[in-house]
Parts: sequence; C-alpha cells; structure tokens
Amino acid sequence: MGTATGIIRALNSGIKHMAIKRFTLRYPEEKLKFVGDGYQFDPSTGVGIAGLKGRHMLFHDHCTGCQLCSIACEGVAEAIAMVKVPEEQKQNKKSIMPQIDYGKCVFCGLCVDACPFYALYMTNDYELSSFSKEGLIYTPAQLAVKPYVAQDSEIQITARGATHG
Amino acid sequence: MATEIMPGLALQKVDERIMTLNVGPQHPGSGHMRIVVQIDGDYIVACDPDPGYVHRGEEKMAEYRNYITNIPHLERPVIHDSCNVLYPYVLGAEELLGIEVPERAKYVRVIASELNRCIYIMYWLAIYGIFLGHSTMFMWPAGDREFLIDLMEKMSGARVTHAHFVPGGVRNDLPANFEDVCLRHVNYFEKRIKEYAAVFYDNPILISRTQDTGVLSKHDAIRLGTTGSVLRASGVDYDLRIKEPYDVYDELDIHTNVMKEGDAYARSRIPWLDMLESCNIIRQALQKMPKSGSVRTKLKPNPKTKGPATVYKRVESGRGSLGCYIVSDGKTEPYRLKLSVPSFRNLIALPHLLKGEKLGNMPSVYWSLNYWPVEADR
Repeated sequence: MGTATGIIRALNSGIKHMAIKRFTLRYPEEKLKFVGDGYQFDPSTGVGIAGLKGRHMLFHDHCTGCQLCSIACEGVAEAIAMVKVPEEQKQNKKSIMPQIDYGKCVFCGLCVDACPFYALYMTNDYELSSFSKEGLIYTPAQLAVKPYVAQDSEIQITARGATHG
Repeated sequence: MATEIMPGLALQKVDERIMTLNVGPQHPGSGHMRIVVQIDGDYIVACDPDPGYVHRGEEKMAEYRNYITNIPHLERPVIHDSCNVLYPYVLGAEELLGIEVPERAKYVRVIASELNRCIYIMYWLAIYGIFLGHSTMFMWPAGDREFLIDLMEKMSGARVTHAHFVPGGVRNDLPANFEDVCLRHVNYFEKRIKEYAAVFYDNPILISRTQDTGVLSKHDAIRLGTTGSVLRASGVDYDLRIKEPYDVYDELDIHTNVMKEGDAYARSRIPWLDMLESCNIIRQALQKMPKSGSVRTKLKPNPKTKGPATVYKRVESGRGSLGCYIVSDGKTEPYRLKLSVPSFRNLIALPHLLKGEKLGNMPSVYWSLNYWPVEADR
C-alpha cells in the first residue's frame, strides 16, 4: 500500500464518523443508569448483590452499634467513626452509629460486607462534592436518608453507532 | 567517565558536545518519572531512567493489613488494570488460607480480568496516540473504553478501582441479564477497535515514525528479562495464560500474537492484537460459564493462614507477567509481600533501546514498552 492511499484511507475512516451518532452524554442533564439500588450484601450467603458503590445508607432500626464496619475500615481508609447519636434517635443499647467521612472513603464496600445485620448498604448516589471538608462528613441522621436519583441514560448500540439513549 | 569522590557523589567530566537533558518528572511526555538523556546533537548517547517519584510503599503497607483489607490498596498501582494487579495476590492468599473457589467465580474472574486488560490497553493506546501527536487516537480509545467500563461498573459497582476479587471468589454475583449486555458490548467494541487499523496501524505516518526505531532483538529481549507485549513483539511466544494457566484459562482456546520485528511498531501493535484476542476469550468464557451457582466461598472476617508458608503466583496482566510473593507466618497479616511488576522489568530495556536513537523518537520508544510508572514504583 502506497503512502498516499494509506493517508486517504486513514482520512476516510475519520470522515465516516461524521455520520455516526454522538456517543457522549450531556452529564448534568442526563445521568447514567445503574444496575439495582446500589451494592448490597447478604450475610447469610456471604455474597454481595451487584450495584453501584456510591454513598452509604444506614438503616437505624437494624444497626446495633457493633462497630464491625468501623473495624473493617481501619486498614482501608479510616473513614468510619462511631459517634453518639442523640437520645431521641437512640436505637441500640450503646447508642453509637457510624459516621462516614467521604473525604477519606474509597468506596470499596468492605464495610457493607462486614455488617452482619443488614444495616449498611450502598446507594446509587455519587454526587457528593462539597465546598468544605465538614460537608463531606455524613452523620448517622444524614446517612439514613434515601437519596433521590434520576438516572435513565444507558448505552445503546444501533446500526448508526453507539449512543447514550 | 565519572569518578566517585564520595559514596553516591560522582564527579562527571563535562564533554562540550554532550548535553544532559532532564525529561520529567513534570513533563507530559514521561509520566511520573524522569528520564535523564545525554544527547549529542539530535542523537541520544546515553539514557538513565529515574523512576521512584510515586513510590507508595504498597509492600510495606501490606504487612499491617489483613488478607481482606489488603485488597483496596493493592489495586492502586494500576487502577485501570485493577483486577489483574490483584489477581496474583488473590490466588496466593487462597493457597495460604486453603480455600476452594467455586467454578462460576473462576469464570467471572476470567471475564473481569480480560475486560480490565482491554480497559488498560485502551488507556495506554490513547496515551500512545497523543505521544505521537495523533489526537484522533487519543479520543477514540478514550471513548470506546466506556463500553467496557460500563460493563465493569455493572459487574462490580465501580468504574475504575473495582475491589472485586477476594480470596475465595468474587465479591458479588453478576447482575441479571449481564451475559447479553456483555456480549453486545464486546461485539461492538471489537468492531470499533478493528477500525483503528485504517486510522492508526496502517497509517503511513505512524509506520514511518515507529518502524525500525528501538529495535529489540529476540536475544536481547530474553537477556534483559522483558515480559508481556515487549517480549512477544520480539518474537518470543510467551504468554502465562498458556504456559502456566491459572483458574480456567486451560479450558479456553487462547491464541497468542507474536511479531518478529521487535521495533516500536510491533510493540504498539501487539497490545491491539491482544485486545482482539481478549474479546474472543470473553465470548468463550460467557459460553462456558455455569449459569448459576455460588461465586464466593464464605470466609471468616479476619482469616488466619494455616501456618508458616510461602507462595508465589503470577498472572499475565495487561503489561506482562505480574507476580506476587507472599510470606506468611501463620498470622492474620502477611509477614512479607513482594510484587514483581512487569513495568519495571520492561523499563530496563529503555537505556538499551534509546542508545543511538534520535531524541524525537524517545516518546514512541518509551511508551511502546508498555510501561506504567506507578506500577513500577509500587
């Protein structure tokens, strides 16, 4: 193959892309859809349930304050601290619950694997940026709130190329 | 040329013709490392790669963490190839802890590992394209990587650092309908990367820049101890997936790609051929995978090894053979953990290859070595 034909073929390959649909997605308006409600773990079988490893969700009625999540995080990120919860929110005897610092969390989900009481799950919420370091620390009360996520964009493969439909 | 006046302090004789040039560590053409090159006009006389700017002490950190909490930090050296960098550790820990892996988990691991290999190579290819000033080759792989990242995200829940492999299997089962989505994405991905031939690999401009530059002969490739794509580009048919099959690689039909030239062009082409082969492996694994079953052997939260033992396991990563040597003294933490990384071994060939080359050929030779600075420094 000559030099000229090679360059023309390369250009031709690029020109073909003008007829292909746009693959990128308009992020803040469109958001990627994820599998399920986030990463969860079933202690009875010892196997997790697939999902995005996003912000945690704490179920106050299940949490016993056993600190296993905090111990699991010790060698990883040290993001989980056990804090005293106010008397009116008290659920367990020790009245301590995890508080997660998302400035440190690496979203590995090992704390979810460690929880034997179905109390700590992960959700599809990944937009956690904050103007201050304190804003990244989520208290047990904040972790109990189920996040609102509107995610509907998925990769679709058509004859005219792939797109985020 | 240099006389040592004190240990570590050498007095260098200055030659008027020779100029010393520091490429990096902030230079975009070097990654997180410095290459000290001595040039005579436009020709490189000597080259001294200086890695170590991103040393994180992964091996020492591993001595203070148990076999489970070691997982998130051990995949940090190569976050794009995080399943493969964790693979030898997980295989070694399984042998030390004495656990069996379910059959389905082995197939899930193979799929995850092959997807990660493609993700890594696409990222590497994007950087190779921009090193050579070919911005289309930066945009296309960066975009097409998204199909596989999306699959890994469905599979493990994270886009880059998956923390998916665990001693005893994988963390979670595949989501519903994953096989169909995986097959569709991989087929489209294969179609897309075949288009790279016309725009990049058969492009006369790329060929003129990379052909016959940095030629590594078969003899030198073996002598210098290179691995992976660098070794296969020099004509040595060596792939650990075939030579020392781990998990279920022996049940799959794998074909290695070997090129005889040993120049920068061959070294850049081999990873691309590997990606096409990875697509075949993923399709085979999806077909042969048991449709249901456990994916993880239940493990105690803080597992203890059976007694003092050592284990060495290696896998074929995106860059070459990646080994993990674990010494255990029967406690919950490893006594010593050593990662034998392919990047560092491929870097050894750099001074050898750059001698006599033009300075302008340095990026094309350097990045064709399939080198990842962070992995070399651990």
